[in-house]
Amino acid sequence: MKVRIKEWNAVSIWHWNVSEDEVCGICRVHFDGTCPSCKYPGDDCPIIIGKCNHSFHMHCLLKWLELETSRGLCPMCRQPFQTLGEDEVITT
Amino acid sequence: MDICKRRLMKELSTAEKGLPSGLTLVSANDLTSWYIDITVDSNSLYQGQIYRLMFMYSPNYPMKVPNVQFVPDENRPIPIHPHIYANGHICLDILGDGWTPVQNTVSVCLSIQSMLAGNHTNERPPDNDSYVRSAPKYAQDSRFIYHDDSV
Repeated sequence: MKVRIKEWNAVSIWHWNVSEDEVCGICRVHFDGTCPSCKYPGDDCPIIIGKCNHSFHMHCLLKWLELETSRGLCPMCRQPFQTLGEDEVITT
Repeated sequence: MDICKRRLMKELSTAEKGLPSGLTLVSANDLTSWYIDITVDSNSLYQGQIYRLMFMYSPNYPMKVPNVQFVPDENRPIPIHPHIYANGHICLDILGDGWTPVQNTVSVCLSIQSMLAGNHTNERPPDNDSYVRSAPKYAQDSRFIYHDDSV
């Protein structure tokens, strides 16, 4: 039997490269969802990973870091927050 | 919806499913203030007694620390502790400079519970009288100096 494919629809799913049950510690929403200010997940509402390996929605973390009271510290471990460079991200 | 409302609604739905032992949600009528009863049966100083905590959240929660203090009531005294003033104000770093937005209502309750559980000094802070005389209504408006981390 020969089959001729007339058309096909590709479907894909994505999720951030963090464990699936992880939520952003600041807003408590899943990383694959958005921060409370955004509508669309994904590149519009990225996650940010620190050198300390703690991750947050980027928008949530920036709101914290722009406050004087944050003293630039990671909300989880209270070490100065430094972004993990792109080449340093461990991919699985 | 803003981050404050969303976070509190999530916290509330979790709290309604059940809080850790020794904690009871009394009311959270509007999302701006919650009352939680707390017991510390592991310490004979506080055994059998119920204390009431009041949480007040500003619209900037969880970026800004909530105001948390004990509130007295006929059957709810203010626990005696070297870091708790007679007016219910609590001197605890996470309720001031040590606050970060990953803290939440339950984690604050647990910190207070462990602060009580580990205490063996049946005394008010040394400056209790002068502080209570001039203290603002809300503990949040006080600038505490954390001079003793051992208690």
